[in-house]
Amino acid sequence: MSDVRRALIWFVALVAIVIAGDHVLAWVLHKVLMRSQFRYSRLYRGGNSADLIVLGDSRGVHSFYAPAIEEVTGLRAMNLSYNSMSPRIAEAILMDYVEHNRPPRMVVIEVTSSIVSGALASELQTYAGLSPRLAALYAEEHPVAAVAGRTFRLFPLNSGFFLEALHYMWQTDQDWIHRDAMPPALRTRPRNPWRLVPFADNVDALVRIVGLLHHRGIEVRLVIAPYGPSNVPVNVTAYAALITRRAQTPVWNYVGAVTDPDEFADQVHLNERGSRVFLRMLQRDGAFGMTSPPGSMTPFHSHPHGGSQ
Amino acid sequence: MLFNSLPFLAFLPIFMTFYWSTSGRARLWVMLVGSLVFYAWWDWRFLFLLLFSSLVDYSLGILLENEPEEAMRRRLIVISVAINLGLLGFFKYFNFFVQSTADVSTALGLHPTYNALKIVLPVGISFYVFKTMSYTIDVYRRTQKAERDLLRFTTFVVFFPELVAGPIVRASRLLPQLARDHPFSYERMVSGLTLVASGYVRKVAIADSIAPLVDIRFAHPEAHNAWSLLIGVYLYAFQIYCDFSGYSNIAIGLARILGFDFGINFDRPYFSRSFGEFWTRWHISLSSWLRDYLYISLGGNRGGTWRTYRNLMVTMLLGGLWHGASWTFVAWGGLHGLYLVTQRLIGPAYQRVIRALRVPSVVSNAFLMLLVFHLTCFGWVFFRAHSFSNAFDVLWGIAAIRGARLADVDNKWRILKCAVLIAVMLGFEATSFLRKGQRAPEFSPAWRLAFVAACAWVVLLFGTFSGNNFIYFQF
Repeated sequence: MSDVRRALIWFVALVAIVIAGDHVLAWVLHKVLMRSQFRYSRLYRGGNSADLIVLGDSRGVHSFYAPAIEEVTGLRAMNLSYNSMSPRIAEAILMDYVEHNRPPRMVVIEVTSSIVSGALASELQTYAGLSPRLAALYAEEHPVAAVAGRTFRLFPLNSGFFLEALHYMWQTDQDWIHRDAMPPALRTRPRNPWRLVPFADNVDALVRIVGLLHHRGIEVRLVIAPYGPSNVPVNVTAYAALITRRAQTPVWNYVGAVTDPDEFADQVHLNERGSRVFLRMLQRDGAFGMTSPPGSMTPFHSHPHGGSQ
Repeated sequence: MLFNSLPFLAFLPIFMTFYWSTSGRARLWVMLVGSLVFYAWWDWRFLFLLLFSSLVDYSLGILLENEPEEAMRRRLIVISVAINLGLLGFFKYFNFFVQSTADVSTALGLHPTYNALKIVLPVGISFYVFKTMSYTIDVYRRTQKAERDLLRFTTFVVFFPELVAGPIVRASRLLPQLARDHPFSYERMVSGLTLVASGYVRKVAIADSIAPLVDIRFAHPEAHNAWSLLIGVYLYAFQIYCDFSGYSNIAIGLARILGFDFGINFDRPYFSRSFGEFWTRWHISLSSWLRDYLYISLGGNRGGTWRTYRNLMVTMLLGGLWHGASWTFVAWGGLHGLYLVTQRLIGPAYQRVIRALRVPSVVSNAFLMLLVFHLTCFGWVFFRAHSFSNAFDVLWGIAAIRGARLADVDNKWRILKCAVLIAVMLGFEATSFLRKGQRAPEFSPAWRLAFVAACAWVVLLFGTFSGNNFIYFQF
């Protein structure tokens, strides 16, 4: 047999083995993914019945410590926030949540996430096979990778989310929060004045989320969580006013409410202690109070691209 | 064009098709044009520099061979070295020297005014300048015949697998291979693809996964605790190793598929028991170049102990500077020079102590490997840091170990992923290392099939596809 023919046979065998192994390995790993206690595995597995859902970026993660919300309010809470999660992605996540689970009574949104671009979309490829909305967002940001993800089934599992899912295989991820206080170097590091500059499509998504929640009779709280003492954005009042005007819903602005550096992990994120302080403030101010009784909600209708209805 | 980019995935099959469907000079033309396209994908304007460098050394090579008079030959080699180093000096070091002179003047109380030029560093210039310079030096030394075929010589200079980041394949190895056709070989294709696959795993799955973990630690060392910084330094040791050895494996594998033998560029360097051994295992094509054209030219180990030490230091300092226009690279080279000198100073005494205490060789070797690895990591801090203050921030952060908890390290799962991949790679390396002098087994095509498929799954599951540059591109 000629060298060329042998090489061709070897190459065809290689392609066949790569594809077959890709499918088998991906099937096994997907089973593992869906058994995890990671928030999005729980979301797409279904069967959750949280009263209160939190959406936001890393500030949503570390400001709204779910166990503390449950202690303070008595409501079952589930934090679906994630680092760099913009309202556009939050919209898809929320729609998917209510499709797969019992709709919540209240949704809390940390609205400074509107300054986040769609970076998290690359992570969401892991669950894109379970959500046409996430698949559409992912394809929009990464068209070539989206094709690769449809061709090779291992590829969507190539993400930090999959590693997180392994980490939270046998433990809840709702316990995820910073516990350390801000290092001395970060307390004293000078920072230039900075502004919150929202992305227009994020604000649009926020408006759609709020409209949808109002329409369904689900309480919605738009909140600005505290920033570090020397890191308050200069335009936060105007920013809150913009979101309030666009969403036709008041923003609960707590930007400077926590001033003790020991209650922050850095100049952007509260730590567990700070989160507890902040949550008690929200409870004191009535932010978690329901204005409509449970049971008045109407069911969601699915919409493949997460747009407004 | 990057090996880990979509354009390269399109370029390669087109190139291969033309390559295998031609022979003789037509094939040389295919190699030349393909290599120029590969280079021009980055910036076509620098093709002129590349071709100028080729033409100069082609001409000087012939003049050197034809010239009988020694004084004239010396003048010609000085011209060749001056032009090559002049190109390198201008494009790579001009602003560095201007800035350094200004800093020294300022320190002396003078207040110089100067203007830095906006100079773009041509990709691969450090590699192709060293390649062409070694050619003319070899012709001058009469250990290499001058190449009289301009097409073949230019192809030797620009051959794409090793053009932009090495290995530095010398004329004595590559020119004879370019003088004959290489028929397609099944064995070469399979073994070449195996190397290419391992290179992609090293680059895309290991080095690029490590990169962001290292970047955040060196960008803000003050925000990380001692464990986190220490892990960052260890990770960088493997990032740079996997990045560069990955590139080398891809380059050597591609060349093997095309029928060429580039030799090896990395030989399990982190298993070295001495720094002398380390430099025979790390970036072999550069370290052997520095030995043959710098260290030996300075006198090597002829002329007594202190001259040997001086030559080692000079070679390593200049080797450090070759990596980049920054004093941190010089410091890195200087550290390795010190390591080599110290090893020569205390090595014999150490051996006597080991023999007197009857320490088992396995224990002694393990100790030496760990010592060499950790001192290498110490050097990498200066190599990676963007300034001395940045390097010292990292080192002080590690030294101030009080209160640091391993549990507080961020990105533990990403670190664990990288650690597992590194462990598997080192496991493969250890297996062959422990075989010692024995001949490596011939892997069957079926074994290679399984290996390449496994590499593909690892890349799909763990690869980073952000199109990261190879670290050595900047050099």
